[in-house]
Amino acid sequence: MYGWIWRHLPGNTWVKALISLVLVLAVVFVLFQWVFPWAEPLLPFNDVTVDQGMAGTR
Amino acid sequence: MTVRWIVRTASEICVTAGTLIVLFVVYLLFWTGIRADSAMDGEIGRLQDQWSAGPPAASAGRSAAPPAAEPRPYEPGKPFAVMYIPRLGTDWAKPVLQGTTTGVLQRGLGHYDRTARLGETGNFAVAGHRRTYGDPFKDFPELRPGDAVVLTDGTTWFTYRIDNRPYTTLPADIGVIDPVPQKSGYRGPGRYLTLTTCEPEWGHSHRLIAWAHLDSTQPVEQGRPSALTG
Repeated sequence: MYGWIWRHLPGNTWVKALISLVLVLAVVFVLFQWVFPWAEPLLPFNDVTVDQGMAGTR
Repeated sequence: MTVRWIVRTASEICVTAGTLIVLFVVYLLFWTGIRADSAMDGEIGRLQDQWSAGPPAASAGRSAAPPAAEPRPYEPGKPFAVMYIPRLGTDWAKPVLQGTTTGVLQRGLGHYDRTARLGETGNFAVAGHRRTYGDPFKDFPELRPGDAVVLTDGTTWFTYRIDNRPYTTLPADIGVIDPVPQKSGYRGPGRYLTLTTCEPEWGHSHRLIAWAHLDSTQPVEQGRPSALTG
């Protein structure tokens, strides 16, 4: 998978390394901005209230 | 489709999954704290701007309007008070927002809908994160009877005193935020406060509860209460 991406990046080794770095940062940004905030409420740390009716706290 | 290809792909997936998990832990332990701290500072700043901008409705009501005038209801998701608990740290100050939805609790402590207003007869119930999002109630088990929980709404300082060691209960135990919570030992109507958070620290099987009663109030003009300065 990573080998395939590396082979399909344009330019010489330095350009490839730079593009790879940008790609990694973009992936981390997407994860922190959207994916993790979505996944986090599925974990138990949010359940701090006593009324079960509050579905929003789950 | 060789063995080499299969082994390589499998190991790449494992490395990717491992990296994802590490990143997620970093997000939970570190990033949510940074986000929550700046959000809470923002909420406290907004409150202080509001309070310094003009005389709040409550103080105007105290002098001019008849005392029967209904105070403005708390707006969902908006801050209305700041809480101080010296036991959790001398600089421990968190905004209290209306509501206990996930989004609200990421920006401060949440006041349960349908529980009493600050300082009024009944039970002023507040929930907060034990872990993640700034860890506001991380040291909740350290609370002891007699500890002060001080709140201000911009016009009045309210000093509550904790009456029990943190009490462990089940998540469905709604009775703990009743106007007169039976298990607290209170027997008559009064001006109570309830704090709730999760137990164990990283789990959600139980809840940790602390009850307090209103000990004293003083107008903000008289300065900070002795529980904070002393």
